[in-house]
Amino acid sequence: MTFFHEQLGILRAKVLQMAAHAERAVENSFDSFLNKDQEMAQEVIERDQDINALEVEIDNVSLKLLALDQPMARDLRFIVGCMRLVIDLERIGDEAVNVAERTIFMSNLPTQAVSPLMEQLTAMVRDMFLKAIAAFREGDAELAAQVCRLDASVDEQHFKVVKNAMNVSACDNTIMERAIHRIMVAKAMERIADQATNIAETTIFIVKGVSVKHHCMPF
Amino acid sequence: MTPTPYKIVSKGLNFYYSKFLALTDINLEVQANRVTALIGPSGCGKSTFLRCLNRMNDLIPGTRVEGELTLDGEDIADPKLDVVELRRRVGMVFQKPNPFPKTIFENVAYGLRVGGVNGKHYLSEQVEKSLRRAALFEEVKDRLHQSALGLSGGQQQRLCIARALAVEPEVLLMDEPASALDPIATQKIEELIHELKSNFTIIIVTHSMQQAARVSDMTAFFYMGKLIEVDQTEVIFTRPAHRQTEDYITGRFG
Repeated sequence: MTFFHEQLGILRAKVLQMAAHAERAVENSFDSFLNKDQEMAQEVIERDQDINALEVEIDNVSLKLLALDQPMARDLRFIVGCMRLVIDLERIGDEAVNVAERTIFMSNLPTQAVSPLMEQLTAMVRDMFLKAIAAFREGDAELAAQVCRLDASVDEQHFKVVKNAMNVSACDNTIMERAIHRIMVAKAMERIADQATNIAETTIFIVKGVSVKHHCMPF
Repeated sequence: MTPTPYKIVSKGLNFYYSKFLALTDINLEVQANRVTALIGPSGCGKSTFLRCLNRMNDLIPGTRVEGELTLDGEDIADPKLDVVELRRRVGMVFQKPNPFPKTIFENVAYGLRVGGVNGKHYLSEQVEKSLRRAALFEEVKDRLHQSALGLSGGQQQRLCIARALAVEPEVLLMDEPASALDPIATQKIEELIHELKSNFTIIIVTHSMQQAARVSDMTAFFYMGKLIEVDQTEVIFTRPAHRQTEDYITGRFG
């Protein structure tokens, strides 16, 4: 294996490390929301800097490889893909922080059982995100395409959550504040699903060399 | 990139060095007024193919061609073909600059003189035009009658290009034309290739992937005497169709 390909291996390991951090942030922020766990939410907020630091590091490694080795074909696509991926992972970290911050905020409000619609949404987004990362890790374009298709059902579920929150708060003003926070949390989750879709699209780009962004036809 | 008519067409071309089959079943269409890069590892047949195009291989005893190879529909391999005329139409620039031990002027005028042109005024005009086309005139205009051997490597190579252009060829074959030059001289040659393609069909053999990517419109990948893949350069370097092409351009060979 050439020195360059060893460096590509290191780049891949770092991206997977960042993905693992983002995965923990997603899992813990969702769990903190569902279980009203302030301590866990606080941890998500504090650990976000690890994700940010990895983004900077991976950017530097990628730039160096592009400048010094002038990669071609799948190597080029992989590096460009990694540079896109870290932007999505960093944003996923930020959305997890948004969920965690709302969780802490909502802990000061009168408690209420978590709605089943929210439980379903968290499960759907978790599933999408984990599949997107697995597709990248395994270079599995089929699984990535499956992730892209899941996004529509998350959007639909998000809409249901918003509708439900509006209906509930319309009947009872005292729970309006909680409903608004729930809408914000649902929005953050829906955004995570969007980023997972981006990761899946990037994976298809790396594996097949075609762009499927914005439902465009491959080249 | 809009496709242009085919200038050179190779169909089922086989080439032998005595019993050794160096090129197998090469099917390649070279578009007019485009730069086609031939890439591949050493010994893959790319230079052999290039030399088939102006019959330079005729100089090697025991070589043999099978199949079809045409320039504007005319059979290049036809034994009755005037090879001198073919080489006027299909000029060549080599890896190492090889100016004649003559003046700059005489180097460029040489092909014309051999072709029977003697008119002083016409010669001067053609020499200046060729030197301008090769982006060298401004640098040498005050020393046209000094020895060409006093020029730098990069200038010598552009002089060789001017010499090739002086006889008004239609096709320019370049066999690693910048491999002996520094980055600045290389850049000049590459810019020159860009400018020349509006008037000439250029085929370039290069070992530099970056150079092929920078200068060519089409890229053909040769491996072990076979043409593995030919496509638009941007396709070859971003998403080649064949695994062997991908492995070669990403340095995963061997």
